[in-house]
Amino acid sequence: MGKFILRRILLLIPILLGLSLLIFLFIRLLPGDPAGAILGERATPEGLARVRDALGLTRPLHEQYLSYLGGLLRGDLGHSFLTNRDVVDDFLQRFPATIELTTAAMIFALGLGIPLGMITAKRRGSWVDQFGTVVSLVGISIPIFFLGLMLKYVFAIQFPILPDSGRIDLVEYFIPKVTRLMTVDALLAGDFGGFVDALRHLILPGIALGTIPLAIIMRITRASVVDVLNEDYVRTANAKGLPGRVVDSRHVLRNAMLPVVTVIGLQTGLLLGGAILTETIFGWGGVGTWIYDAVRTSDYQVIQSGVLLLAFIFVLVNLLVDVSYAFLNPRIRYS
Amino acid sequence: MRTWRWISALAVLVLVLAACGTQTGATPAASEDSEESEPAATGSEAPEATDGGTGEPVAGGTLVFAGARLAASLDPVQTSDGESFRILQQIYEPLVDLAPGSTSELVGVLAESWEGGPEDTVYVFQLREGVTFHDGTPFNAEAVKINFDRWQNFAEEFQANAYYYDATMNGFGEGNLIASVEATDEFTVTITLTEPSPTFLFAITLPAFGIVSPAVLEETNASDPATTFGEDVTLGGTGPFTLESYTPEEEATLARNEDYWGEPALLDRVIIRPIADPAARLQALQGGSVQGYDLVNPADYETIQGEEGLVLVERLSFNSLYLGVNPTAAETAGNPLAELAVREAVEYAIDKEALIEPFYGGRGAVADIFLPPSSGWYDAVLAGVEPRGFDPDRARELLAEAGFDESNPAEVGFWFPTEVTRPYMPDPAGLHQAVTQMLEDVGFVVVPGSDIWDSPGYLGDAQNGLYDLHFLGWTGDYDDPSNWYGVHFGYDAEGAPAPQFACDVEGLNDAIVAAEAELDETTRGEAWAEVARIIHENVCFITLVHGDTALAFTEEVQGYNANPTGSETFSTVWLTNGGE
Repeated sequence: MGKFILRRILLLIPILLGLSLLIFLFIRLLPGDPAGAILGERATPEGLARVRDALGLTRPLHEQYLSYLGGLLRGDLGHSFLTNRDVVDDFLQRFPATIELTTAAMIFALGLGIPLGMITAKRRGSWVDQFGTVVSLVGISIPIFFLGLMLKYVFAIQFPILPDSGRIDLVEYFIPKVTRLMTVDALLAGDFGGFVDALRHLILPGIALGTIPLAIIMRITRASVVDVLNEDYVRTANAKGLPGRVVDSRHVLRNAMLPVVTVIGLQTGLLLGGAILTETIFGWGGVGTWIYDAVRTSDYQVIQSGVLLLAFIFVLVNLLVDVSYAFLNPRIRYS
Repeated sequence: MRTWRWISALAVLVLVLAACGTQTGATPAASEDSEESEPAATGSEAPEATDGGTGEPVAGGTLVFAGARLAASLDPVQTSDGESFRILQQIYEPLVDLAPGSTSELVGVLAESWEGGPEDTVYVFQLREGVTFHDGTPFNAEAVKINFDRWQNFAEEFQANAYYYDATMNGFGEGNLIASVEATDEFTVTITLTEPSPTFLFAITLPAFGIVSPAVLEETNASDPATTFGEDVTLGGTGPFTLESYTPEEEATLARNEDYWGEPALLDRVIIRPIADPAARLQALQGGSVQGYDLVNPADYETIQGEEGLVLVERLSFNSLYLGVNPTAAETAGNPLAELAVREAVEYAIDKEALIEPFYGGRGAVADIFLPPSSGWYDAVLAGVEPRGFDPDRARELLAEAGFDESNPAEVGFWFPTEVTRPYMPDPAGLHQAVTQMLEDVGFVVVPGSDIWDSPGYLGDAQNGLYDLHFLGWTGDYDDPSNWYGVHFGYDAEGAPAPQFACDVEGLNDAIVAAEAELDETTRGEAWAEVARIIHENVCFITLVHGDTALAFTEEVQGYNANPTGSETFSTVWLTNGGE
């Protein structure tokens, strides 16, 4: 096991190297130019030339990449073209917000997706199953943007029971930043009201962001449970007279979980990097808005290092998923 | 069964949290929540709010305000956009500023008085005494010198972002506009220029020229590009608000500076939140999580005006949308726009007034000249121009005179940018469609074209003269015609006209050079009127609309003075309920 993890971590090096080169080249193929983004209407040929020069964009491409790579190896991911700020600092400031939102979305998606998948599988063909299929199809197809605005319209404006945006009521609560996870910081500050308020702020964006993973997890759970229900050992367990609850949890769900865990890992990785729409609609200050802004303004340094950091986290999450297989299915041996 | 139980538990949890919130909201957060949660109940509160609205300003309370973004940097000189200025001009102050609501009247801020004007190279500023920075260190002449010296000697990495210093001081270091900055005595600063500059005083009113505490600059090692201003730099200014906390992408919290040298701010706090999407900003206002926001989408003007408890605050235009007209654009050889009559026909064909209602929510003005009516130079420059009104018959006549008819129509390329909106151009594609229709109505054949905004996309191609007809616009930096006509039509060092318009008219460059150098105010106005006349008569571009912008507030917010330039303070803002 230890060997397996070590090998996977070593494998990260070529993956990240290749990725850094790809991202570096891709963003330079994109239309747009940081100097133009900085100057806008005020761009003059001389102004553009001067800014490009100051940003080091006039050097040959391979030189730019090598100096970027040199920085990476020294742990220096560079500075934003627009703000001059250290990319890693900026990332760390924003990432906790994204983690918090992703966690809320995954709790929603798992909390509903797995039980619903289980129920629909066990009552295959019934109205519950058909209803579930329709709901999950809608869940996958609905644009997050629309869903987010609708949720807000209904639950924050028409029936104002939940806040429409933000992470906490800033007028009421002042939470010192420690972990930058609002809920955790509120608890650390001993502010229970703030904690509840932070949780309330998580509900609508969590639902908006969690709907697609919910639908996917529900469908995968259903398919996987249906497969397992047909296995001999389930029939045996039932025949032995084991209570249904024990069969479900020990035999069915546990064996059905493998593909679900894979999907959970993938979805978590995706959410961590890409909650752009949800973050924008709910005024949520995570990495999604940050990268989006960087793309909009052609801030190459933020895009290439930010995406690299997200890729690193994505790979890590998937490594965790692989490791968790061992606990779910002891037959899997890592070598 | 267990699964159902699990689902119900989750649902109950959500409901409890929702209910919980309304309870906690009802007691301490009453000011905010009660109004939002009972739209029907506002009837009982309305009289109180209106009473307060006409009454005396009350101190206290917190205003939550949404912009599209927070600041690009917390270092004033490294910013050049309205979102950054909104925050930084509450914290940092320049030597002189524009008077509230004015685009052209100067008032002393950190300088109590000054000597020196458009014709001089030496400016002597008498500084305000007894001013302290938020960190407690005293403000004096040495502090001003340290700031100017820092800007002047910026490392290259900083120069890319210090747009306004670069543009207004002609670059950095030796040979630019600044010859020297000296602290003559404790409260006197003498700034010597290398040549007279009629715009110098206006330039330093920009929030980018806010003076930062030298102690803070030293502590943060701010002249080293590797260590730049972060969210920890909160006490560097002298303004009516201090930066209490700052979380990128989340909030900027401003707190009243109790030791302010001038009239202290009325509000205890202003919290500025970034919400990029205009629809989400409106929802935040309706949902009550903010009490005001900027850059209202013109399409929402009616909604806001029709909704009880919401107020629209108009900001007069300091911008202009224009139709660039390039007779030599590379794409179309034998460009009909090479003929003056055809260019005139284009302007006569366009009903500028008809663009204001659908695209600017009815708020804006027809652009007879480049400068907007809010400019102090408006009347002087307008005197040089005889506007061409909407006259489709005249347009057809002119086209016929130029030898174009149905069998041989005038074919023109007409470009618009995508993936962008600007205050002067809320809907580029829609505007393009409307103007195309107007041109086709008089007999033009329009070949549409579009490209994404960012240079070297649309902007670059437009500026390099690749587009025949094209939309572009300008938001003024400060109120001087040179910032409008001069920036766009000045010839380059080799004596060639700006490629965007290829406006190669005899006498134009001489007129611009003369106007730039003219220092007497009346003669300067006449000189720029002459420039405007030459450009207008030759139809080098067609100014279309000055688009107003607007902010929205809940009705208890009072005292916000919108300024066309965006130079706006929260220190005069108050809440009718005093935050109770």
